[in-house]
Amino acid sequence: MEKILIIEDDKNICKELKELLINNSYEAIILEDFKNALNKILEISPDLILLDINIPFINGEVLLQNIRKKLDVPVIMVTSINSEIDEALSISYGADDYITKPYNPNILLLRIRAVLKRVKNYNININEVTYKELKFDITKGMIKKDNLEIPLTKNEIIIFSYLLNNQNRIVSRDELMTSLWDNAEYVNENALTVNISRLRNKLKEIGYPEVIKTRKGMGYILS
Amino acid sequence: MKLGLYFKDNFYKVLIFIISYIINLLVFLAFKVNKSVIISSSFIYIICFSLIFFISYFRKKKFYTDLLLNIESLDKAYLVLETLTKPEFYEGELVFKALYEINKSMSENVNRIESSLLDFKEYIEMWVHEIKIPLATLILFSNNHKDKFDKKTKLQLKRLEDYVDQVLYYTRCENAPKDYLIKTTNLAKIIKNVGLKNMDYLLENKIDYIVENVNISVLTDSKWLEFILGQIVNNSIKYKRNIKNSYIKIKAIEETCQIILIIEDNGIGIKQSDLKQVFDKSFTGENGRNGSKSTGMGLYIAKNMCNKLGHKIDIKSEENKYTKVFITFAKDKYYEVLK
Repeated sequence: MEKILIIEDDKNICKELKELLINNSYEAIILEDFKNALNKILEISPDLILLDINIPFINGEVLLQNIRKKLDVPVIMVTSINSEIDEALSISYGADDYITKPYNPNILLLRIRAVLKRVKNYNININEVTYKELKFDITKGMIKKDNLEIPLTKNEIIIFSYLLNNQNRIVSRDELMTSLWDNAEYVNENALTVNISRLRNKLKEIGYPEVIKTRKGMGYILS
Repeated sequence: MKLGLYFKDNFYKVLIFIISYIINLLVFLAFKVNKSVIISSSFIYIICFSLIFFISYFRKKKFYTDLLLNIESLDKAYLVLETLTKPEFYEGELVFKALYEINKSMSENVNRIESSLLDFKEYIEMWVHEIKIPLATLILFSNNHKDKFDKKTKLQLKRLEDYVDQVLYYTRCENAPKDYLIKTTNLAKIIKNVGLKNMDYLLENKIDYIVENVNISVLTDSKWLEFILGQIVNNSIKYKRNIKNSYIKIKAIEETCQIILIIEDNGIGIKQSDLKQVFDKSFTGENGRNGSKSTGMGLYIAKNMCNKLGHKIDIKSEENKYTKVFITFAKDKYYEVLK
């Protein structure tokens, strides 16, 4: 479980953000002591930091510079300042991403996952994911089992990867939709339904019928 | 300064001179003064008067002519004092001093208003940042408690966010001399962000978001452009027709010295007579009055921002057929070389 540190002075946001992260199977820690922020961060040694610019005692951008001197941890700036100048500054100080408040929670989760994946991929190259006895080659877009190989379309790849990343948890249509649109696949509701049923058929063909279950009014679950 | 008018203005001096000369002449004649004395003294008399008249004219002429001419030629007439040399005649000195004082008091006044405007702008910016915090909390809260809040809450929260953004960008582009940063930005990324932001709204209204051939980089401020596109997409959603295959189609065309981004919808369109005014402040037109409430600010702000960024924005439409918005980005050859 990845450890995510929330550096943010608004108590309500902290609370909701923590809940969101925990619901999405991350470990979330809220930084309480802003005075010794840097030492605390070193002590916690998180896998990722969500950092606000407007925090007490020290400016977020300055803190980011200080973090960069000591740690290589990925940092996503989360701020209500929506300006290109601040974004450019933050990126130049070493932020991995810049998100403005108010954000779509699904997008925030996608960004977190993307940044974490980037860092992980840098260390070990994961192009192939396994699901039960099935091998999923993301770069080629193939699902393989024994001698059987079935190609997936781009949309099916996006949906299947999302379900795989959130295995055993109900994934809402909204989340899948966001993930598709985030990959510049602007599908509508019907297309999503069609894509899911095609993916189901392909999984069935390869020997996994009914692994994607529909939970009425809630979404889908990959068991 | 015209000699004729100056003469007319100073006619009383000439009149006094002529009267005094006639009186003098009569006195000379009464005392039977020698003719040659009369002629020579008349001569001196006339020369002296002419000298007085013309010297005072030419002393003033330079100052006043420069003053009038420079006021006309300067685009900021209030800077005229900077272009003049201090006059060397009393009357001119007085005018100069008066102008200086007026100028000073006016600049103080302008400064005061400018700084209060800046204060106001800073306050609005701060307020917008502040209000985004509870807004962000609400959005997170509604997401974490989906059982209590449905899609409707989400859409209303988005409306709130849109209005808040409109205030922010209105203040930024009306009052800030330079609150943007021009960078090379990929259009695809901005269009994706606009799509994501309006995803629920588009899906709810069953409008297809079709994006073609936008993998092109332009010189712009991505945040500003995102807002501009957001306004256009929002209008397309607001003024959609009740037909089955509503869509918003976005594509870019690259030409030799410019890139044109086209946002097309098959909505209710805009009346020809309204088309010219859609970018005017507070213009709502027939669509705005008939359909959902409109502030008439969105396109005005978008146009204003485009002007600042140096993009061209045009609109074409046919009622009950389509609306097309064109945003033209110039390609900067000089910038290409620098890179």
